Amino acid sequence: MSQDKLKKENEMSGDARKEDFNPAILGFFCHWCCYAAADSAGVSRYQYPPNVRVVRVMCTGRIDTRFILEAFKCGADGVFTGG
Amino acid sequence: MVMAEAARQMLDDIGVDSSRMSLQWASAAEAPRFVELITGYVSDIKSKGALGTGENEADASTLRRRLDAAVKAAAGRKPRTAFGMLAKKLGKDNDYSPEAIAKGVKAKVIPGFRALRIAEEVKLCLEEKGGLDAADLCSMTGASSEEMDKALADLAKKKHVSEDNGRWSLV
Repeated sequence: MSQDKLKKENEMSGDARKEDFNPAILGFFCHWCCYAAADSAGVSRYQYPPNVRVVRVMCTGRIDTRFILEAFKCGADGVFTGG
Repeated sequence: MVMAEAARQMLDDIGVDSSRMSLQWASAAEAPRFVELITGYVSDIKSKGALGTGENEADASTLRRRLDAAVKAAAGRKPRTAFGMLAKKLGKDNDYSPEAIAKGVKAKVIPGFRALRIAEEVKLCLEEKGGLDAADLCSMTGASSEEMDKALADLAKKKHVSEDNGRWSLV
């Protein structure tokens, strides 16, 4: 899993200095708003950090507390929900 | 909003920095704002460090076990029913202010969640190492002795754990 690989990279950087730390973030983006905004940002060539792995949901109402807890359990350092 | 607050309070209960979870709004026309939000959020997480290394956070191995217990607890009937009833009540009173939501979640949802989380964590602790006494379990789960006594009594009633001279093991 690519998240495990990222964790290994973080550990191998030895010093664990905060500047070298590459967080693994899970993003729940709603199809109509945030996902479209991200798409539009991509088309317009805006630069932003690549740390967010995106899960598209049709509406943020789909998201349950279990999703967030499971994300952290699976190794996410952060969970971003965009509505 | 209510779900987000419930998730935040659950994360607080298990010792995860709840500001690692972020709920933001960006419409399809707000691409530059989206970029700002993501950039700000990623740098915030970078400064906090990996999960389990932030300030006011439990350490990584404890968190792994707690999150395991929390996922099971969040699936429990009692906290989920309480959540539904709370949502109904907030709708009826038409009061979705942050204070009302926070107060409602804390009073109705978290107690059931916490009890279930402690019970699940006890099972995980005993799976790792049998023959622990109640005090060990309290320090591993962060439960008070009353909460632990109740959790152990419930688990014993369901025949998931058994006691032998003050030491508990999985059945």
